[in-house]
Amino acid sequence: MSALSPNIATRLAPHALTLAIAAFVVVFSIIEPAFLKPDNLVGIVRQVAMVGIMATCMTFVIMTGGIDLSVGPVLALSGVVAFFAMEAGYPLPLVLAAGLAAGVAVGLVSGALIAFFGLPPIIVTLAMLSIVRGSALLLGGPDLHSIRDQPGFTFIGTGSIAGIPFSIYLFIAVSLLMIFLQKMTPIGICVAAIGENERAAFLSGHRTRTTKMWLYAISAFGAALAGIIQSSQVHTASATYGEFGTELDVIASVVLGGTSLMGGNGSVARTIIGVMFLGIMNNGMNILNVSIDIQLIAKGAIIALALALAERG
Amino acid sequence: MSAAANPNAGSASLVEARGLTKVYGNLTALNKADFRVMRGEVRALIGSNGAGKSTLIKILTGAVMPTSGSVTLDGVELPLGRPEEMIRNGIGCIYQHSNMAPAMSVLDNIFLGRQPTRRLGLVDVKAQRREAEELLERYGIDLDLDAVVGELPTVKQKEVEIVKALALDAKVLLMDEPTGWLAASDVRRLHDTIRLLKSRGVGIVYISHMLDEIFTVCDTMTIMRDGCVIAEADVANMTRAKVIELMVGDRLARESSAAAHEARHPCGNGEVRLSVKGLTRRGMFRDVSFDLYGGEILCITGLIGSKRTELMHAIFGSEPCDAGTVEIDGKSVNFHSPGDAMAGGVGFVPEDRHRDGLMLGMTVTENLVMTTLRRFRRLFLLDRKGIEAASNRSIDDLSIKPADGRKLVRHLSGGNQQKVLVGKWLRLGPKVIILDEPTVGVDVGAKAEIYAILRAERDRGAAVLVVSSDLEEVMTVADRIGIMVSGRLRSIHDAADMSMAQVVAEIGAE
Repeated sequence: MSALSPNIATRLAPHALTLAIAAFVVVFSIIEPAFLKPDNLVGIVRQVAMVGIMATCMTFVIMTGGIDLSVGPVLALSGVVAFFAMEAGYPLPLVLAAGLAAGVAVGLVSGALIAFFGLPPIIVTLAMLSIVRGSALLLGGPDLHSIRDQPGFTFIGTGSIAGIPFSIYLFIAVSLLMIFLQKMTPIGICVAAIGENERAAFLSGHRTRTTKMWLYAISAFGAALAGIIQSSQVHTASATYGEFGTELDVIASVVLGGTSLMGGNGSVARTIIGVMFLGIMNNGMNILNVSIDIQLIAKGAIIALALALAERG
Repeated sequence: MSAAANPNAGSASLVEARGLTKVYGNLTALNKADFRVMRGEVRALIGSNGAGKSTLIKILTGAVMPTSGSVTLDGVELPLGRPEEMIRNGIGCIYQHSNMAPAMSVLDNIFLGRQPTRRLGLVDVKAQRREAEELLERYGIDLDLDAVVGELPTVKQKEVEIVKALALDAKVLLMDEPTGWLAASDVRRLHDTIRLLKSRGVGIVYISHMLDEIFTVCDTMTIMRDGCVIAEADVANMTRAKVIELMVGDRLARESSAAAHEARHPCGNGEVRLSVKGLTRRGMFRDVSFDLYGGEILCITGLIGSKRTELMHAIFGSEPCDAGTVEIDGKSVNFHSPGDAMAGGVGFVPEDRHRDGLMLGMTVTENLVMTTLRRFRRLFLLDRKGIEAASNRSIDDLSIKPADGRKLVRHLSGGNQQKVLVGKWLRLGPKVIILDEPTVGVDVGAKAEIYAILRAERDRGAAVLVVSSDLEEVMTVADRIGIMVSGRLRSIHDAADMSMAQVVAEIGAE
């Protein structure tokens, strides 16, 4: 009928997720005005900070056509390692470094297996999921380890500056760093090139294998940082944190942000929009007292719907 | 062929295709082609890439619907464009890449997808085995039905594919480059099998770039060029030189014009840039040695399968070699990765721009700076302005159209994509630039532009090494011509001393 409508549709398609967020906000705030209160909005960002850090850090991996299923156990491992470093009496910087280094080491191993031995990322990180969970349990046992009298460590998850929780600052810092890497340094073009055509990137002189290995280390770094935030928030470390489903939220955020699981196109900035979308949806359903079973079903359906629309666009 | 040698040979054709034409948009892939195969005949189908062979084969397998024309089998007209009908009527195809289920047994593979069933849909294993044994006996093929296909040598796997086709009552077998993955002794074995099938009355279409094999196993040949069937002949009445001349066409067999000769620079400025000594990769190429000078264009030509591409990858460090040395400006280098080679001043424009060359989903600018990214790094930052300026210069120099660096490469024409690919390597400013089939699939205008670029590179003093199967191209741009036959660099000549006919004769020589 109208030659205009497909044109509008193609122009709006890239902003579909932003529009969906706006629609959610309008609907939730009409039904429950408390949704728009600053406390609630800050609460949403605080809730998504950990998933957000992991998702921005995993975006490059997914852009190369890879995936990282091992983020949940890495999160747990980093918390447990940090706890034992604290118990051993090391100063805070070393405690944090130990937790983060444990995660990065896992990422380097996965990355090396994938990049240098050509193993499929889904299998390697699935195996790592099991190995790392097992290692965390071996190290920490099934118990909760409570963290006491560590004001510096506790500040990371519970402290706030100017009324904004510190974990939000961390989320913002990591996001800015990843956007900076993608937009302002050669890394962004290298990652896109590997995802588009790895062989052509190799033949153009790029060190594709080394780059890929480090991308898994970045993803694991995000998970390790999330693990430290988690342990700090609840004053405990446990080998069972980052339970099954953590990786799905992270991957869903990245993919909702428009990064193709096939590799190639992708954007850290858009991943953040994906993270906010999931966060607002969860929060809205909580406010509306939707029960957890229905929440899970609704979340899955909306993710599937969003992806189906993205595929068509 | 005599009736005595071929008891099943009748006077009527087994398969007969008449006036097959296939038009894609404004491109005629196949033009009024007639093609026939007799009972017990092995017919070679020959032509360069793009001659129309694969279109013809796809019509015979039903994968492509012709624009016009008909196909009959035993005088009965076949419904076209329907693969399952072609198989049901007895046209089988053995593809270049295996179509088997490697973890299953030979017997299961033979009946894959069409198990004979008893009542209630249960697989009738006994009937399967009986039928398979009968087949093997009838065609004299020796196979263990219980062996797992993936554990068999490649040649045996080919036999399983053949038996699978025969189990479908194939009267004609189309074989597309059937020896592509086989060692020499296995080729002989496969040819024995083909002769057996032939003696049982099966008609075979043998598609291959390997002239040796065609002269060994085929009875007759059909030669195609530019979508037309241009010759049919008995193999016994043909020579290799004659076949190649027919394949490339007499247009090209004419001496290239005087203009092309005017500025030949054999051995360029006399300084050896690249020196290859005794380079060997087992099963690929052997003992290849040559010098490449600054300011010259050396074209290496030969038949497809003469391993020129593999040789170039070995020089560039993207594929391994087993022995030999590569020297740049007299220093032994032997690159282990493309990055090494680039640091040593070598660029490489690969043959397949979609698979090996370009990031189709990225912009022209991003592709153009792909080889030189680190030059645009200021501390850690990407110098976006510098990149844009460099890209605009390349777009200007090579007249890439549309002249917009933000366009995705996917949306450019073949010729302009190729210019982007060449351009990204020129940006490196290489001392030695290798180009593998630099004008495949580009139109005449873009070809001329690419030749001009090659000459400009030569004149600036670069050493240019071109791999090409296109003899007109070789005669047009080469200062010297190297001829590669079956993994060996047979000879190198000054281009001015060679006629097209002499080159053809050398390419085809054993």
